[in-house]
Amino acid sequence: MIKKVFIFVLFFVITQNYYFNSYAVEPEEILTNKKQEILARKISKNIRCMVCQNESIDASSAPLAKDLRILIRNKIQEGKNSEEIYKFLTDRYGDFILLKPPLKIITFPLWFLPFFILIISIIYVFWLNKKSKKT
Amino acid sequence: MNKKLLILPAIIFSSILLVFFYLLIIDRDPSGIPSALINKKIPKFETKSLLTEETFISSDLFNNEITLVNFFATWCKPCRDEHDNIKKLSNEGGLKIIGINYKDNNEKAIKWLKELGNPYTSVGIDKNGSIAIDWGVYGIPETFVVDSSGIIKYRHVGPITNKIYNKINMIVIAIK
Repeated sequence: MIKKVFIFVLFFVITQNYYFNSYAVEPEEILTNKKQEILARKISKNIRCMVCQNESIDASSAPLAKDLRILIRNKIQEGKNSEEIYKFLTDRYGDFILLKPPLKIITFPLWFLPFFILIISIIYVFWLNKKSKKT
Repeated sequence: MNKKLLILPAIIFSSILLVFFYLLIIDRDPSGIPSALINKKIPKFETKSLLTEETFISSDLFNNEITLVNFFATWCKPCRDEHDNIKKLSNEGGLKIIGINYKDNNEKAIKWLKELGNPYTSVGIDKNGSIAIDWGVYGIPETFVVDSSGIIKYRHVGPITNKIYNKINMIVIAIK
């Protein structure tokens, strides 16, 4: 029974990766050049909407999100690459505007502490288990 | 199940709870996300002035004195709420305050300032919000404290409440 539940949960979790998320891009924003539009969507999905801070500007209907979407599309049309666009935004809004925190020395704990704690916990459980078996 | 297994996780969990409780009860700075422009020079910009025919140029406005920059709009309720404190900062504090009218209607803004009083030495028009983006503004009203060399020293997101009013005065004294 537990095996069935486990398989169901695993399946459910994996399929969460493959969904059509709702987006807030309005028709007049969409660039005619498909490649540029795809790049714009890709960058937008990694930019936090500073108003509704859990959403990307791609998904948020806030006015600032729209302004930033348009700004990103303009910059792409000017020929800027994603690195330059990210720099433009983090210069003004800080690293917080990126949904994926950049990998810097200071964010190492943010990225790696969960794995570290998990490993420590597993070792701890095994060690306790071993200890109780000795008695 | 070995009871000893539960001690360490219990300690860790209690410590986490204590940290959260501590963060809840201390008085935290509600000024929002710290500005990425702190200790940097003000962004250069040029736009139209709301109340005069002159152009509104950043390099002309910041003249070797401590200046406040306040992003506001007539459609923004918290901006209306803080307006008395902005006037107080200008009148009682004697501070130079520059207004940036964000995504607003010029006639409405002129009328608003006429009716409620104008605390600003000058007001620039940010019709499409691009000046706001250059300043990292995300939720008006926002107020910046700029020192006499044109360096941004502090940014507050949200209305200037009485508490924040005092804080701003302290900051101004500190950077004199």
